[in-house]
Amino acid sequence: MNPRFIFETFLKLLPYLTVTLEYVSLSLLFGTLLGFLAAAAKLGRNRPLRWLANAYTTILRCTPSVVLLFLVFFILPAVMRNYLRINVDAWPALFFVVVTFTLFLGASQSEVMRGAYLAVDRGQFEAGVSVGMTEWQSFRRVVLPQAFFFALPNLTNTVIYLFKEGSLAFTIGVVDIMGKAYLVNATNFGLKALDVYLALALIYWPLSVFFEWLGRLLERRFGYTQVKPEAGKTAESVRGRGRSSIRGVRA
Amino acid sequence: MLAVTNIHKAFGTNEVLRGVDIMVEKGDVVVLLGASGSGKTTLLRCINFLELADQGHIRVGGIDIAFRDARKKDIHAIRRKISFVFQNYNLFNNKTALENVTEGLIIGRGMPKSQAVRIGKACLDKVGLANKFDSYPGQLSGGQQQRVGIARAVAVNPEVILFDEPTSALDPELIGEVLDVMKRLATEGTTMLIVTHEMSFARDVATKVVFMDEGNVVESGRPKEIFVKPKERRTRQFLQRFLGDSDYAI
Ligand SMILES: Nc1ncnc2c1ncn2[C@@H]1O[C@H](COP(=O)(O)OP(=O)(O)O)[C@@H](O)[C@H]1O
Ligand SMILES: [Mg+2]
Repeated sequence: MNPRFIFETFLKLLPYLTVTLEYVSLSLLFGTLLGFLAAAAKLGRNRPLRWLANAYTTILRCTPSVVLLFLVFFILPAVMRNYLRINVDAWPALFFVVVTFTLFLGASQSEVMRGAYLAVDRGQFEAGVSVGMTEWQSFRRVVLPQAFFFALPNLTNTVIYLFKEGSLAFTIGVVDIMGKAYLVNATNFGLKALDVYLALALIYWPLSVFFEWLGRLLERRFGYTQVKPEAGKTAESVRGRGRSSIRGVRA
Repeated sequence: MLAVTNIHKAFGTNEVLRGVDIMVEKGDVVVLLGASGSGKTTLLRCINFLELADQGHIRVGGIDIAFRDARKKDIHAIRRKISFVFQNYNLFNNKTALENVTEGLIIGRGMPKSQAVRIGKACLDKVGLANKFDSYPGQLSGGQQQRVGIARAVAVNPEVILFDEPTSALDPELIGEVLDVMKRLATEGTTMLIVTHEMSFARDVATKVVFMDEGNVVESGRPKEIFVKPKERRTRQFLQRFLGDSDYAI
């Protein structure tokens, strides 16, 4: 192990972090939007849409990410050329990585969001419209912030997963930190593999820890929703209450 | 003023409301009685379009429309004239007591924040929560939460407030504080339609009592008439079950 070489490699890899962060942030953005739409479809009343969203989730869940990446990389260009008359040959490989992870995140995020939405008692939404807010206002002001809180732990997980899983991008030629590490390793004929990948880990570790910390910070920021009000009692106690009030009448 | 006529509602094959008429005049406190499952909650929810009635007609604050004909815009307009106090309070958990009350004013009605806060504080003060403006629902007792719920309903200055068993989820020692607030609203002339099993409240505060059974209004009248001389057998049976004896007298 050569600390000096590790450090030099670390510095060599660092610039490629922008590539990594690029597909992470873009996939996260589009994947979240897609997940939102899919979750809305699953929760909505439109049957065909609901079916479509469920099928999409199932198929994506059952496809390994490398497989999806290759499918997107090799099939999407053909589809776009033949059906949309768009030539994507010159487009950067990064595009296909983002498409792949967007599709993946869309599926997993849709489940996260669906669960988070259902975790917010519908009564609060009803209370919102009852004080004169529109349905959209009640959703945005009351349901969404709380659902976001419920989704946060999963969201943090997703970011870290994406950050690491993104290293697959190199298989279609995107040179991110993982890709660069692979290249550096190759120029050294694999003789310094341990040092190279240690340098790589020195980028992955602190950043993952940072994402974790960020997630926890946000959880605290939205943490007030953790305090749940006393849940309503059952019909049994309601009836009991009714009888007890008679004492009041007699008194 | 609120008038609902011939309201029908079924869940699948379960006919829950079978042509109910309800009339609430300005300043009225109408108490709706009925056994569990008789359709009281469904009636209130239909009035506020939280459920869509299958048939019937609603007239409130200048709006006059059949339930089935109401579009999104009409529904929104009607909800602005009616507020709702829920059995489980349904406070916005992510907002403070004050924000719970001002939200409908600022967001729903576009009122300037300073004015909304002034009204919100006055309403919370009225329900005895002047020292709880910044508390979140989770930090309040059930009774306090329900009083915030009432303040929230009052703040938007509706034509009528619907109450669905506002004290049923409360521990017995907390019921009084909520009923007291409601009594005060009644003396101030607030128009209310209240589902409750608190018979003494119904007797003392109601201007009109309506008894429902199996989706029908069986009998209605002034509390004295209903409690002392119920005409219908089903009303008598219901009251007997609640009052438990025959020597009950007002
Ligand atoms: N959302 C719903 N879906 C199906 N059935 C319902 C629903 N809400 C109420 N019901 C049924 O309607 C009937 C009346 O209920 P409800 O209006 O809650 O009565 P109450 O408030 O008088 O106890 C009950 O049989 C109940 O099971
Ligand atoms: Mg009920």
